[in-house]
Amino acid sequence: MLRGRVLFGACLLLSALAAGAQPQETGSIAGHIRLTARVRAPLPANPYPSRAIGRHEAPAAPEIRNVVVYLRDPGFKGALPASHVELHQENETFVPHVLAITKGSTVDFPNDDPFFHNVFSLSSAATFNLGRYPRGKSKAQTFNKAGLVKVFCDIHSHMSASILVLDHPYFAIPGTDGNYEIRNVPAGQYTIIGWHERVGERAASVRVDAGRQAAVDLTVPVEDVP
Amino acid sequence: MTASTSSPAPQPPRLLVRTLGVILATVALLLIAVFVFVFVSVRDQVRQSVAAGLESGQRIYAAVENRRQRELQSQAATLAENPTLKATIDTYAAEARTASQARIQEWLATIDNELEKVAARVDSDALILADTHQTTLAAAGRLGDRWPRGRPIAMAAGKPSDTIDGVVRAGGMLFRVVSVPLQLADVPIGTLYLAENLDDRYAKELASLANAEIAIVSDGLLVASTLPQATAREFEAAAASRQPDGTAVLDGQSYAFRRLVQLGSTSFYALGSIDESSRAATRTAIRNLALIAAGAAALALIASFWLARMLSEPVGRLSASLAAAGRTPGARVQLARTGSSREVDTLTDTFNALMASVAKAEEETQAAYTGSIRALATALDARDPYTAGHSERVSVLSVAIARELKLPDDDIEVIRLGALLHDIGKIGVPDEVLLKAGALTEAEFNIIKQHPVAGARILRSVPFLLPHIPIVELHHERPDGRGYPHGLRGDEIPMHARIVHVADAYDAITSKRAYRNARPSGDALREIWRFAGTEFHAEVVGALATALPGVTSDTGELVVDHGEQVHA
Repeated sequence: MLRGRVLFGACLLLSALAAGAQPQETGSIAGHIRLTARVRAPLPANPYPSRAIGRHEAPAAPEIRNVVVYLRDPGFKGALPASHVELHQENETFVPHVLAITKGSTVDFPNDDPFFHNVFSLSSAATFNLGRYPRGKSKAQTFNKAGLVKVFCDIHSHMSASILVLDHPYFAIPGTDGNYEIRNVPAGQYTIIGWHERVGERAASVRVDAGRQAAVDLTVPVEDVP
Repeated sequence: MTASTSSPAPQPPRLLVRTLGVILATVALLLIAVFVFVFVSVRDQVRQSVAAGLESGQRIYAAVENRRQRELQSQAATLAENPTLKATIDTYAAEARTASQARIQEWLATIDNELEKVAARVDSDALILADTHQTTLAAAGRLGDRWPRGRPIAMAAGKPSDTIDGVVRAGGMLFRVVSVPLQLADVPIGTLYLAENLDDRYAKELASLANAEIAIVSDGLLVASTLPQATAREFEAAAASRQPDGTAVLDGQSYAFRRLVQLGSTSFYALGSIDESSRAATRTAIRNLALIAAGAAALALIASFWLARMLSEPVGRLSASLAAAGRTPGARVQLARTGSSREVDTLTDTFNALMASVAKAEEETQAAYTGSIRALATALDARDPYTAGHSERVSVLSVAIARELKLPDDDIEVIRLGALLHDIGKIGVPDEVLLKAGALTEAEFNIIKQHPVAGARILRSVPFLLPHIPIVELHHERPDGRGYPHGLRGDEIPMHARIVHVADAYDAITSKRAYRNARPSGDALREIWRFAGTEFHAEVVGALATALPGVTSDTGELVVDHGEQVHA
């Protein structure tokens, strides 16, 4: 109920902003993201391959969902649309593992596991510790600084999440098929980034024309230069 | 008969000494041979057992070391599950290039702090945290300062695929390390190393595990060892060409060695001293051999003593008998068989036969002498018809008197022959004096008086007649000193001569002479009795009186049995 109302409010705010702004010619960017590096590489002799409980029962999110596509310094002006999203703690895992939000957005960290969790971060963009809390409880954190925020649980050392806080709304997380789309991008020349927390990022130039869709396919990370 | 005479030449050793010497020498040779054999075989066995010990030591070490490494690894893995450490490393890794210097210092301080806390819970020499590029981020522990930040870590492992167990050179020291990855949801974010300095203390621990001496050699240089300095240096010198196992002579001592493990260019060797082990075994063998030697020597002593006695005792008895026989010529010596050995008994028998034949020859010689003397005496008596048979009769009578006086048989035999010869000196008296019917002149009587001395002179040339000389020479001496040739008195005159003197007088009185008739036995006895004490010894005269009835016939004539043996 509450979540639906918040989303509804956010949509209203966005349409109001669009209506209030100077009419601007916009286009969109769409494409396909391909991960070419292996991210999970458990070492053969590790005596503890995984300490997580029940994680093998839960369907693991495809790694492509941990990629964020965004424009580098698009020179966004105006009020940034803030969002309110949730980052769950279930089966000793942060879900989703990677989150992209606009500056000023708030993230809720509900605990869905039948035991205590903790949420803390040491990152420059946001240093916080929400303390430990049991199942059913949720704590919120607002991110007012752009940058990468790494989130951990001080009870379960294998839990981690990355929140990419951006000072513009031009970003997307590809679907499980690897396709993405960024809409309402003002016409112009941009640098588009495909980013993954482990394997790195790949940049590409893109020209956005009004009313048209630019196509950029990215391979993350950068393929080996011959 | 020469056994009793000592020769001036150095005497040969006693039989006992010689037997003992031979037996002891044999035993000693045997013992030496056994010792050499035991020494060689002990050494060989010890070499094999030391090598086998090293091999089993290696197996034990491999098993224990494997477990130890796994334990260390799980310990490290547990330590690696430190949320703050992992969060800090991951955050640092993500922002190292973009964050402010203050932030970075803050993170590094957090990492250092967390690592120190972890290090306090383990007894590793150093605990090292490296990033995903194996660059040192932080180090803690006793030797943590050997691992400066930013230095890459190059681990040399036994197999290239082994990322867990290996050796790392850091800060001029060699470390044995166990590495575990730090992971976030199966994604490696760094590596934690537990490092153990390869020093002498480590070698000592390893030595107690492998139950052998330990030498650790890296790139041909000795890193640590439990060996003595000089031995270790020699092992190091030859380490480049080392086989995985074998034997080597180090500082004069023989060692067996075996490579326990090789990690890159670092090798761990177990060494066992063959000499030291064999010394103990050899010492035991020598002690046992010494006991055997002592026993054998004692046995040899007893055996040689017994053997020597068995040989020398009958021989000694034999020579003692011979010596005794030599001291009493003419005595018949017969030795009893000893029964100790056939050879000695044969010797005894031969000796007895020899003695028998010698005695027989002697008897024959004596019989021949006696026969010729008897013939001489008979011939002498025959010169004067009145004295025919005189010597024989005096002899028989003298023997009777001597028997009466209880003289020993030996003396009786001397008297028998001596009496037979008592007038042998008359051979030098001319017939006109000896056979003169009338009274003798002073000069003639003087000639007669020389016959005892002349007789003695004749007998002196025959050695076995020496005992008879006193009878011949002194049978005219008188107890009152008025006899001839020397005028001896009383006890100075030997008993033999006294007896013959009395018998001679008796026969002279009872015999017919040119100048008178024979007088009866009773008159003769009375006549002699009259001069008892002056001319004759009283006890001899007494004996004559007692003995006479046994030797005279009814007519008073002496009974002479010519078939009687002189020596019977």
